[in-house]
Amino acid sequence: MKSKSLLTMGMILSISLATALSGCGSSSNEATKDTGASGEGKSTEKSVETSAATGEVSHDTELTLEVYDVAANYQGLQTGWYGKILKDKFNIVLNIIAPQVSGDASSLYQTRCAAGNLGDVVILDNIDMQECIDAGLIADIGADIGNYPNLMKYEEQINLFNGDLNGVAEGSIYAIPTEMNTNGPTAYIADTVYTCPRLPWDYYSELGCPEMKNLDDLLKVLSDMQAAHPTNANGDKAYAISLWPDWDGTSIETVNQLTKWYGQEVNGSVLLGTDNSIRPLTDKEGAYYKMLQFLYKAQNMGLVDPDSATQDWTTVCDNKMKQKRVYLFWYNWQRGFWNTPEKSEQGDFYVAAPIEDLNIYQASDTYYGSGRVWGIGSNVDPEKKARIMEFLDWLCTPEGLTYQHAGTEGLIYTVNDDGTYSLTADGFNRFTADIMVPEELGGGKWSDGNNNINQWIVGSVDKNPETGEPYGTDFWSSTIKANETTGLRQWQEKYGAENEVKYFESTGQLVPVPSINKPLVNDTTDIALIRNQCGDLICDNSWKMIFAKDDAEFNQIWDDMYTQIQGFGWDELVQFDTEKWQVVVDARKAAS
Amino acid sequence: MKVLDNKKKIESFKLFLYILPFLILVGMFAYYPLYGWVYAFFDYRPPKPFSLDDFVGLKWFKYIVDNPIRVNQIVTVMKNTFAMSALTLGTSWLPMLFAVFLNEIKCVRFRKFIQTVTTLPNFISWVLVYSIAYCIFNSTGMMNSFLQSLGLITEPILFLQQSDHVWLTQWLWLTWKNLGWAAIMYIAAISSIDEEMYEAARVDGATRMQIIRNITIPSLMPTFFVLLMINIGNFLNNGMEQFYVFQNAFNKEAIQVLDLYVYNLAMGSGSYSVSVALSMLKSIVSVILLFFANKMSKSIRGESFI
Repeated sequence: MKSKSLLTMGMILSISLATALSGCGSSSNEATKDTGASGEGKSTEKSVETSAATGEVSHDTELTLEVYDVAANYQGLQTGWYGKILKDKFNIVLNIIAPQVSGDASSLYQTRCAAGNLGDVVILDNIDMQECIDAGLIADIGADIGNYPNLMKYEEQINLFNGDLNGVAEGSIYAIPTEMNTNGPTAYIADTVYTCPRLPWDYYSELGCPEMKNLDDLLKVLSDMQAAHPTNANGDKAYAISLWPDWDGTSIETVNQLTKWYGQEVNGSVLLGTDNSIRPLTDKEGAYYKMLQFLYKAQNMGLVDPDSATQDWTTVCDNKMKQKRVYLFWYNWQRGFWNTPEKSEQGDFYVAAPIEDLNIYQASDTYYGSGRVWGIGSNVDPEKKARIMEFLDWLCTPEGLTYQHAGTEGLIYTVNDDGTYSLTADGFNRFTADIMVPEELGGGKWSDGNNNINQWIVGSVDKNPETGEPYGTDFWSSTIKANETTGLRQWQEKYGAENEVKYFESTGQLVPVPSINKPLVNDTTDIALIRNQCGDLICDNSWKMIFAKDDAEFNQIWDDMYTQIQGFGWDELVQFDTEKWQVVVDARKAAS
Repeated sequence: MKVLDNKKKIESFKLFLYILPFLILVGMFAYYPLYGWVYAFFDYRPPKPFSLDDFVGLKWFKYIVDNPIRVNQIVTVMKNTFAMSALTLGTSWLPMLFAVFLNEIKCVRFRKFIQTVTTLPNFISWVLVYSIAYCIFNSTGMMNSFLQSLGLITEPILFLQQSDHVWLTQWLWLTWKNLGWAAIMYIAAISSIDEEMYEAARVDGATRMQIIRNITIPSLMPTFFVLLMINIGNFLNNGMEQFYVFQNAFNKEAIQVLDLYVYNLAMGSGSYSVSVALSMLKSIVSVILLFFANKMSKSIRGESFI
């Protein structure tokens, strides 16, 4: 994978070099010209577009859409069963460009931006959307969107978001938020929280489910667990905790996820608290330091996989998590790499393990959007634009959403007598086993052919009008019933709650903060430089701290790091981020 | 007379046309890109189009040295660059020696085999070299399993996370990859040495070692010097792919050479302007080094190469 990504990176670099030298000025001028001209040319363009939108869009020619997608974990053509559906329905082929896979996401983004064409369909983080609009890379769909009833279900959220963007005229629409729903701004209907300690239930109950008051107790449990089960069933060495460095940003991503156990979320250089506080990441009282200390202690107890700092996510996922060689999970989606109803019947499944002093940071369901946006590239012609809009609209239909959040009828789910859906056996195992798709549905492995865009306009919590249940298979009553295995019943009995969300809510450890979706200020060159240099130092030193030999070394590295980042302008960065996130905190206060 | 003159002119014009493509190529790929240096004087950040309003003068040059911590970082980076280049330069006689000894192997098949095996790594990309390294040296990899099965260690050694001897290990990887390839030049040079000299030496009763010391190596010296000078000119260009794939939190301080630093800076944060400023400095130092090497060559060997 790495070689591929380096190769693409190299290609893009060389292309961009060429454009930087000769074409840069002209191509970006062209892009701005496009938007500049759209004012005058609007009347003619509009009539073409609306006629294309309301009239028949021809599917005679095959259309390849370049999808620049920050959420994708796969780069290349969408193939398999999902590809076949799009091909049959719209005669569309998706060519996914995945910065996450390219090895260096920001360089791919910047070089493509400099070239003046990001893609036909663009999925970006909110923060990048504003500058792409400013640079004229995104098309205005304000005049078209009214013709698409399924997209219009989310009109309120779409308008709100575009209204927050700078320099967007009344009636113009550039961005469509992701994972919206129609359940209301403060609803949280999931049965799991995004991150909390999760342990294999069989090993935990084997130890007698010892009560845990704080992280030290968790370490004790993990240590006992690892002592009792030093290897997995195949005899491969297992560790309680395994980390990976390839998702790191300004700080170590896996540590960032753990800070949410103690009521704080890392956002760049600051920590946002459930109590609406904002403090620097480097606050010694803050959760980032606390969780570094936790991992350091774990490492000194021999609980951290020694390869943690040098392996990549794919290695951890395929060779370790899927082989039960890791005992502490945190993400709710991580369970999917191991849990199945059959295993859970035996108690062999990962489940939340409450600790008394947890204070879980959880945002409510992303009614307003989840921090990313869809847009259409400004280089598309009206006909192509109409076909893209038709495709985006379909993504919001019950049919499209069922394909995206579940799969195909018959193979993945069946329809019950009362109209609700049930997962098939293959459906249950679709993420853990190699499910082969019949040739007439596209063939190949199900997971290879799954929707590789990996990002949805409508979230899985939204209700499907055809079944009266959410689209996500985990929320189907049939799934919840099927998942009620012996293992889960044991857990429910022990904790006296139906699921972890109910449990944490009953103990007062979980009070979801309202989910806010706003386009935030982007970094200036100076701030970006500080962020990059401080980020490198923080990540490198955080890893060193986790692998420190003793407390003295641990503290020494922290202090050295602190002095160094001061020299690189850390305080300026913290100030910038504090102001930036104050907007969110204010909106949260207003919403709750 | 006039006709002749014209003929001469036509002839020289023809000759000029022969080299024209190369002049164009050099102009396009060596001089035109220098235009990119203007970025060092602007606040340029994609996707914002380049505009004259963002002129910032020498801001980025000052930025590099405007406080002791940043200076410190640059010094560390330069130290790494010089150390690793010096290691490579100091051992640049290795390929020559290797070629000489390879040439002494009498069994042709064995010699060809060795040559192929040592040349092959040159064609493996650094990314693959790292995955090989990861497989061999991770905590449950071949090396650790082997040492553990011998009972030499109980806890796995984290080879890839070592922060000691980074320069040395990186030099070893580089040598492993390049030795055979670099020797090719010398093997070619050896084959052009006059056979009569060897015969004369043998008639005079010279031993094999004496022949190597007094004939082969002196004949290779011109080649060696030319390559050495070129290497000095490239002193600061010790590449980045190798260090990019091998870098991690633990060895970064010792592995971050100038090229990698520029890359990390530019690609990590879009700070193209600072990166351009840094690489401009690099080009200037390289030119100085090249003239220095040329002068050395002139005074030592009496001939220059520029």
